[in-house]
Amino acid sequence: MKRNERGYPLFTLGCAVLMLFGSAAAQIFLPPAPPKQPSEYGKVVLDNYASKPGSPGAVVFDHWLHRSKFTCRLCHVDIGFAMLAKATGITAESNGQGFHCGACHDGKRLVKGKPVFAACSSSPADAQCNRCHSVGKYAARKYEYNTFTAKFPKAMMYGIDWQAAEAKGMIKPIDVMEGVTFRKAQIQGREDFGITAGVPWVHPVYFSHDKHSIWNGCELCHPEIFPTAKKSDVQYTMYSNVHGRHCGACHLRVAFPLNSCQQCHPRAPMWAQQ
Amino acid sequence: MNAKRFAILALLLVFCGLSLAQTGTKKKRPLPYEFGRVVLNNYSEKSDLSPVVFEHWIHRSKFTCRVCHVDIGFAMKAGQTGIRAVDNERGYYCGACHNGKMMVDEKRVFAACSRRVNYEDQKRCDRCHSLGKKVPSDFDFFTFSQPLPKERFGNGIDWEKSEEMGLIKPAAYLDGFTSNKRSLAAQKDFYLNPKVEGMPDIIFSHKKHTVWNGCELCHPEIFMGVKKGSSHYTMVDISEGKSCGACHVNVAFPLTDCQRCHSKPVQP
Amino acid sequence: MTVWRTFKWIRVATLLVVAISMGSVCAVGQGAKKSTVDQDGQQVAQRSTSAHEWQKEFDQVCSTTQEAMSFSENELAKFVQRCDALLPQIEKLDETRKKVYLGRLRMCRGLYAYVLESKRNEKK
Repeated sequence: MKRNERGYPLFTLGCAVLMLFGSAAAQIFLPPAPPKQPSEYGKVVLDNYASKPGSPGAVVFDHWLHRSKFTCRLCHVDIGFAMLAKATGITAESNGQGFHCGACHDGKRLVKGKPVFAACSSSPADAQCNRCHSVGKYAARKYEYNTFTAKFPKAMMYGIDWQAAEAKGMIKPIDVMEGVTFRKAQIQGREDFGITAGVPWVHPVYFSHDKHSIWNGCELCHPEIFPTAKKSDVQYTMYSNVHGRHCGACHLRVAFPLNSCQQCHPRAPMWAQQ
Repeated sequence: MNAKRFAILALLLVFCGLSLAQTGTKKKRPLPYEFGRVVLNNYSEKSDLSPVVFEHWIHRSKFTCRVCHVDIGFAMKAGQTGIRAVDNERGYYCGACHNGKMMVDEKRVFAACSRRVNYEDQKRCDRCHSLGKKVPSDFDFFTFSQPLPKERFGNGIDWEKSEEMGLIKPAAYLDGFTSNKRSLAAQKDFYLNPKVEGMPDIIFSHKKHTVWNGCELCHPEIFMGVKKGSSHYTMVDISEGKSCGACHVNVAFPLTDCQRCHSKPVQP
Repeated sequence: MTVWRTFKWIRVATLLVVAISMGSVCAVGQGAKKSTVDQDGQQVAQRSTSAHEWQKEFDQVCSTTQEAMSFSENELAKFVQRCDALLPQIEKLDETRKKVYLGRLRMCRGLYAYVLESKRNEKK
């Protein structure tokens, strides 16, 4: 090999390594694109026990219907669902005892005047297993996404603008459930604030406490997701968001997706959108 | 080349570090009957037994925290006491009560850990060494908690109110172990400023704590500073089990119940 | 045989060795019977007056922790000293009791020292 040809293999190798590294970094730092169909967004598959003999199969939980009827706080604080799929440990037994899904799905509780069907009912006459255990099955749905959300205002980037829907009175999420919610003294509302990014090329975030605490209360985020109310104590980056921690606990799979950059970074340029 | 390698390694380390972090997610919240459950497995599996499952709710309704954690000497973290079968047989730790002779509420307390075990004894072993097994208990949580005043989170029970109403009577004294029979001189309640704008001050009630804990449980091991304000701890420290978190993460009312501490004026 | 007969001192030495070894075995055997051993073969604390005394002392010292705030600095310092004096006695106990009482003594001594320090701090 001549002297000036020696560098080419190395150069190619170097480029390949950089590309791999770059794509890996992109995977790590940039948020994934949400599903093409907004009706699929917020879908949680629960299959802790699906493979066990006698199991009716995995459960599919669609967030969109429940979030139109209840605040996040009611399910995730009062009832106590975890915010990671399969982390809560819901069983037919716990539902039957009135916990988890069974807190509402007990066949008796009235929501907006209608009784809610019982989850994991032991009597075969009431059993409507396929309504939840619907993975791989065709189950006629009571509410269809497109019909239900036809008139809801659409979000800037993707999906539905739930806050606008509430502002217009199209949805009225219930925050208090008798026998489940304990009313406590209100802690004074916290102010909105800005979060500057750790790197200069990322525009700062504008965080609205008001918008979050209306549906989440305080306990949903504090202290488990954000251990302290003091801003500087918690360090997180898009890395943790993209991996379902901190902001990503909600904004990765249920609340508006992370790749709607301008909804948090108001001055981010449009081309930054993935 | 060295600088590049270093940079790559450093970046890899950063990613690894971030992935190991624990905060930032909303994890499973134990159900009311699961809250306060402690699994002890220092020696169980090595001895071909299932790990021990200890439920706090039934014990705390019968005894104050002090009796077990000071007089008998249990540590405050799972696995730290180092309880062995031989200790129980000799009448210490679990064996202080679980000796086959003691009567609690007119019921004989079953004996823990015997060296000479028959086939029939297997059931008795399974009463504690029950992780992964369905073991019938003498006490059903729902029947137990049904008449008690409710609170949110944790066991779902307002333990203080239950005691006030006389529905539970935790004993503060255990024969042969408690040398302290005199009642405690009342300590002052005080407030703690969280130093975060908007969060109500914390009213710390010494009285409520010392009624069940005495002094030694907290001082100096959990709270070392002699002067108020000398030890600094944040909610992050607490959620990791330090200071208030020694009890208020796993056994006493959990940290999600903000207003129980951040209450001004004092909740009666 | 010739060696045995010739060297008288070998016979004497052998007999002495045998006698001593038999004697020591008997002595040890006697000692083993005398020592107090519980069902697990563990040596329990010797039953003597000192065994009960440390227990009494422990009960006396650590039964007043509830009133620690009402003691003077001198009294608290004395309590701390008495706890320190108990430590070597507790360390001689069998494994179980040592574990239990070391923990209890640690908490008891810790509290007295803590209250003493806080009183001294208050003065400053």
